[in-house]
Amino acid sequence: MAAALIPALAPDQLHLLRLPQGERVASAQEEVHQAVRQSFLQGAVGLECGDWLLRLPDLRDLQNLLQRHGLELRRVHSLCPGTLVAAAALGLDHGGSLPVNRASGKAATSAGVDPLTVHRGTLRSGDHLHVEGSVLLLGDVNPGARISAEGHVLVWGRLRGMAHAGCGGDRSARIVALQLRPLQLRIADAVARGPEERPPAGLAEEALLVDGTIRIDPASPSWPLPQ
Amino acid sequence: MTSTSPRIILICSGKGGVGKTTLTANLGIALARLGERTAVLDADFGLRNLDLLLGLENRIVYTAQEVLAGTCRLEQALVKHKLQPNLSLLPAGNPRMLEWLTPEDMKKIVALLAERSDYVLIDCPAGIEDGFRNAAAAAREAIVITTPEVSAVRDADRVIGLLNVQGIQPVQLVLNRVRPRMVASQEMLSVEDVTDILALPLLGLVVEDEQVIVSTNRGEPLTLQSAPSPAGQAYLNVAQRLRGEDLPIVDPSKEPTGLRARLKRILTKRLF
Repeated sequence: MAAALIPALAPDQLHLLRLPQGERVASAQEEVHQAVRQSFLQGAVGLECGDWLLRLPDLRDLQNLLQRHGLELRRVHSLCPGTLVAAAALGLDHGGSLPVNRASGKAATSAGVDPLTVHRGTLRSGDHLHVEGSVLLLGDVNPGARISAEGHVLVWGRLRGMAHAGCGGDRSARIVALQLRPLQLRIADAVARGPEERPPAGLAEEALLVDGTIRIDPASPSWPLPQ
Repeated sequence: MTSTSPRIILICSGKGGVGKTTLTANLGIALARLGERTAVLDADFGLRNLDLLLGLENRIVYTAQEVLAGTCRLEQALVKHKLQPNLSLLPAGNPRMLEWLTPEDMKKIVALLAERSDYVLIDCPAGIEDGFRNAAAAAREAIVITTPEVSAVRDADRVIGLLNVQGIQPVQLVLNRVRPRMVASQEMLSVEDVTDILALPLLGLVVEDEQVIVSTNRGEPLTLQSAPSPAGQAYLNVAQRLRGEDLPIVDPSKEPTGLRARLKRILTKRLF
């Protein structure tokens, strides 16, 4: 899994470049290269390093790499003190993890609490939003767009694109939307095509895995929202 | 001189063949007729068509390329329209030179045009690659044009996402080539289906009209005519709405059908 480059929602915000957490399969440079290679974005970027240790030469490499793709490294977020020191030495704006992700630290996960990322705005065709915990999207997922999460996928809007819950293999993950009309649904390793007929208007629905197949039910009012 | 700053509008679609160039030509003429000093810039220089639609192909001597190189002045490169002197065309380049244009070049050209215009319309090439990026570099606002087809709407959606990332605001929508009968019989996406997905303010609705093909081949945009055909009238309305006039948009598929309604329509048309 490559690093995720998440576009800023407003012109005065930073784009967010998030390094993958957990298993390391490539260097940070390769991860970032993968993420920016095909990207259109230009402008200032905040780098979310999580627990990666990036020393000064690494950060400088990343800075140059981003610059070649028209992006400017403006800010570094990290849980690792070594990385913050390096960022400070380069004169970059730096700080701890982002507020939405602070809850997603290891401690929270081990306590059985799902971390939740809130994303505001509609995902349009070609966009892909991936988060590590659960995701709450305030907006629509348009046809051709993808939303994926290791936990639950909650869409406060119309889900008409592709959704993947439980990317990491969590078979209890669910997909909930105010209007569930996806092209395709995936939960863990199960795949289902979206329903052909139009869903009943004004009825939120959820998809969950029952006996290895994806089933769509009216959304349960007692939905266990992640804390 | 006007006090307000010139409006620099990108006309784009993502998918090819949905009517970007036709809209640019007709909108350019319509704005010129309404008294606006309008410049149209053909940013699709690889497959240059805007000059054909405006009937100005044989008058092009220089392009923006020569202006930037300092070989000629902007006034020499601008081609004034024969009948609407308020409208001038600037081709961005020569189809044989594919590599020269950068976003920086584009900004320079548009800044030059903006000095002497109320409206600068940029005709964007199809696709979302370098050509689109160049064309979008200098734009302040955008009109996305699409047809009621799944593929065109999908591509428009992608383009809108890219425009949002670049901070281009406002982005408005023109829905082209609507066939009211097919919409009414649910064989074609309806206006709501499209605006539902794209979630943009609708600037205009253009019905399918054979006269568009005739006018394209003649190099005389529909908006030149004093009594334009349905599509021509729709383009005129787009121009009026763009200037801030509050004209209601009539969905042709929702108009009452049947003998009585048709009779009534004919009568009111003849009377007023």
